[in-house]
Amino acid sequence: MERRVAARDISSLVALAVLMAAFGLMSPEFLAPRNLAMLSIELSTTAVLALGMFLVILCGHIDLSAGSGVGLVGGVASVLVFQHHWPAPAAMALAAVVGVAVWTAMGALVVRQKMPAFIITLGGLLMFKGLFWMVIRNSTVPIVEGGGTNLYSMLTTYYLPPAAGWALGGAALALLAFALRGRLTGAPEEREGALLELLAVGQAGALFILLMNRYRGIPLPVLVLGAATAVVVTLAERTPFGRHLYAIGGNEEAAALSGVPVDARVIAAFGLMGAIVAVTGFMQTAYAGASTTTVGELMELDAVAACVIGGTSLKGGRGSALRVLVGSLIMAVLLNGMTLMAVSPEVKLVARGLVLTLAVWLDTKLGANSR
Amino acid sequence: MENNAPLVEARGITKRFPGVTALSAVSFALRAGELHALCGENGAGKSTLIKLLSGIHPHGSYEGELVVGGKTARFKGVADAEHAGIAVITQELALVPAMTAAENLFLGVEPTRWGLVDRETMRAEARELFARFGLSFDPDVRVEELGVGQRQLLEILKAMRKNSKVLILDEPTAALSETETRVLMAAVKDLRKRGLALVYISHRLEEVFELADRITVLRDGATVTTLETAKTSRAEVIRHMVGRDIHDLFPRRASAPGQALLSLRGVCADAPDGRPVLQDVTFDVHAGEVVGIGGLMGAGRTELLMHLFASWGRRTAGTATVAGHSLSGGGPRAAMEAGLALVSEDRRRWGLFLIQSVGFNMSLSHLEALSRWGLVDRAAEAAENGRYFTSLRVKAPTLAAGVAGLSGGNQQKVVFGRALMPGPKVVLLDEPTRGVDVGAKVEMYELVNRLTEQGLAVVLVSSELPELIGMSDRILMLRAGSVAGEFPRGTSQEALIAAALGHKEN
Repeated sequence: MERRVAARDISSLVALAVLMAAFGLMSPEFLAPRNLAMLSIELSTTAVLALGMFLVILCGHIDLSAGSGVGLVGGVASVLVFQHHWPAPAAMALAAVVGVAVWTAMGALVVRQKMPAFIITLGGLLMFKGLFWMVIRNSTVPIVEGGGTNLYSMLTTYYLPPAAGWALGGAALALLAFALRGRLTGAPEEREGALLELLAVGQAGALFILLMNRYRGIPLPVLVLGAATAVVVTLAERTPFGRHLYAIGGNEEAAALSGVPVDARVIAAFGLMGAIVAVTGFMQTAYAGASTTTVGELMELDAVAACVIGGTSLKGGRGSALRVLVGSLIMAVLLNGMTLMAVSPEVKLVARGLVLTLAVWLDTKLGANSR
Repeated sequence: MENNAPLVEARGITKRFPGVTALSAVSFALRAGELHALCGENGAGKSTLIKLLSGIHPHGSYEGELVVGGKTARFKGVADAEHAGIAVITQELALVPAMTAAENLFLGVEPTRWGLVDRETMRAEARELFARFGLSFDPDVRVEELGVGQRQLLEILKAMRKNSKVLILDEPTAALSETETRVLMAAVKDLRKRGLALVYISHRLEEVFELADRITVLRDGATVTTLETAKTSRAEVIRHMVGRDIHDLFPRRASAPGQALLSLRGVCADAPDGRPVLQDVTFDVHAGEVVGIGGLMGAGRTELLMHLFASWGRRTAGTATVAGHSLSGGGPRAAMEAGLALVSEDRRRWGLFLIQSVGFNMSLSHLEALSRWGLVDRAAEAAENGRYFTSLRVKAPTLAAGVAGLSGGNQQKVVFGRALMPGPKVVLLDEPTRGVDVGAKVEMYELVNRLTEQGLAVVLVSSELPELIGMSDRILMLRAGSVAGEFPRGTSQEALIAAALGHKEN
């Protein structure tokens, strides 16, 4: 079983490497510092949303309304800032509260009214899209007044100074070492594994900081992604809450009889998704510079695709947050590379669909063969 | 060839899987018109042998020879075996819940008229088939509305409809009530009279001894012996199965009952659809005591346990308390906090997380207690899991092994581990030994003894009367949702059945 997981892990990592090498060869700009910075911002929005989607899928549900929600929550904040002259933090806080409340309500509908999440969130997809267009009156609403900066716009324009980047990288590594302390002080082979893990993460992190510092430093969204990853991984892997989600997705009836508060856990997963939709909404809108009618479009499907490419079972109960990151990276690289090569939008759609289908087919193949 | 040459014969069959030899040089012969029982513990190789006979393991994947009707059979798949007249009814039901009984019977071979499904013919033939086996089925009833027992019967009828010459029944009565078992066994006898050859697998030796002409015992993938039923005894068969003597199949050691831990007073409860099911149920279960609950399928046994565990029905009257804590809704979590634990009837559906590991399955109900600062303390979890893994003698490679790969008995031990980890005062067991082999059954009974010796109270629901009689200190028989009688240890099966059916005793 361990081996199968490893084979699958490597297959998606190999696919990612092939993809990046291909884009690097075809377009010299792809690996240029500026583009890598842009790629990391795009990855952050895709991956943060995918991490939220992962929690929802883990307990056997799905959220189709996430993309519309990204537009709507960002739009609410934009309108409050630009038309009602609210300070950005207050506007974002209110929009985030709205997000959490709406998603909690959807979660409650799913569990209490026993309606499939597919239907509830399909309704949400349409309603939020309409509400979004109403809120911004089908126009373009900037995120900041008169060309200044605020917290909202800084989300995707602020870069960490190089020294701060190194400091933060060191702190993150120390934190990881602390999280691995059990294994680091354990049996020799465990200690070796943990040390290797630390070394690999440290090298990758150093390479990343080096590359980012060649442009303008680490972009703020990467920090948001780092925080979201830490939270979701900890929740899913280390807390009773996460175990409960795995249990609910694995066998809901057995979970209930084992004392898992199924309703509360599912509602909480949706509530978390609301918060993540809000954060993604702010980042995505900030990246676009303004709320326009297309912000967030199809993002829910990218998030689902990232989860599935990362090996998450749509039936629930199976998957890992870190592999969802790899799935997000594949989706983000694909989109960024094609945009860079000026591939037409229609071809981009076809390519994304192909990659998703291919990835899932490969995954089932690999899974079946090594069983 | 003479007349009594075997219809189906396995000669020196060896079947290997990566890392294990499931069958080694197994020989087995089924004569025309006989009912041949296959006995052995889980993992003895019965299922593998059946899969070979039924073409699931194709020709070429095993060594040795399979002879059907005097010729070497080279089954490429199930279709070939069916073509040769061999049909199997496995424990996994292959019915479509949303379709009607008649539609399921004719699944894939629907009679047609002008290209459309001929419902009238289908219904008529289904009705005729039901009548032939003395069943009062409505052909139009949807399978999802049928109970487990009725579904099993339907599954058997489905196979009988195919005009097979050899019928293999794999644990056909495992999920059936006493009455349904009677109906099925009558049907099986009837089939044999019609000249069918049957292979019958059951953990219930009473059935085997009532039905079988011959018994072949498998142990650890090898044929131990084939016995004439008339010339052997249960004790001998069990000895061959386990390879050692089991002196006492029901090793109940009664301990002196203490204070009442579970008390029900006039409990009435309605089903979710508003139908009254439990009526005026009153009883106590004391510390150190096993109270058995019997009754026919549908008498409300499972409903009673599920209701106490706050996961079924709506209370309309009465009270239930565990050591003074009132049980009134709030879900299983509240029931567990009050000191109740439940091992439910259908462990694959209600008990196990089949895609997860043994460890995941065991600690799930106890995670909060094993957490520090909101994070599961993995060292503490591993230690606690290890304790139950060892004391319950779970046979699995490690705690990280997938629970799906375990035998029925070991899966049940995992479910027990989860139920016991939070430290309950009262343990509700619903058919705890269903689909579990003889050796593991005795281990379960020993476990029940240990629990009562520790001062826990146990409620045991079972359809197997010998088990109910052998393991209970007192027996309550339920009929139509109310207590039809209370019986002391040592009551006869006949008296219990009479109470379940509502006959007056004289």
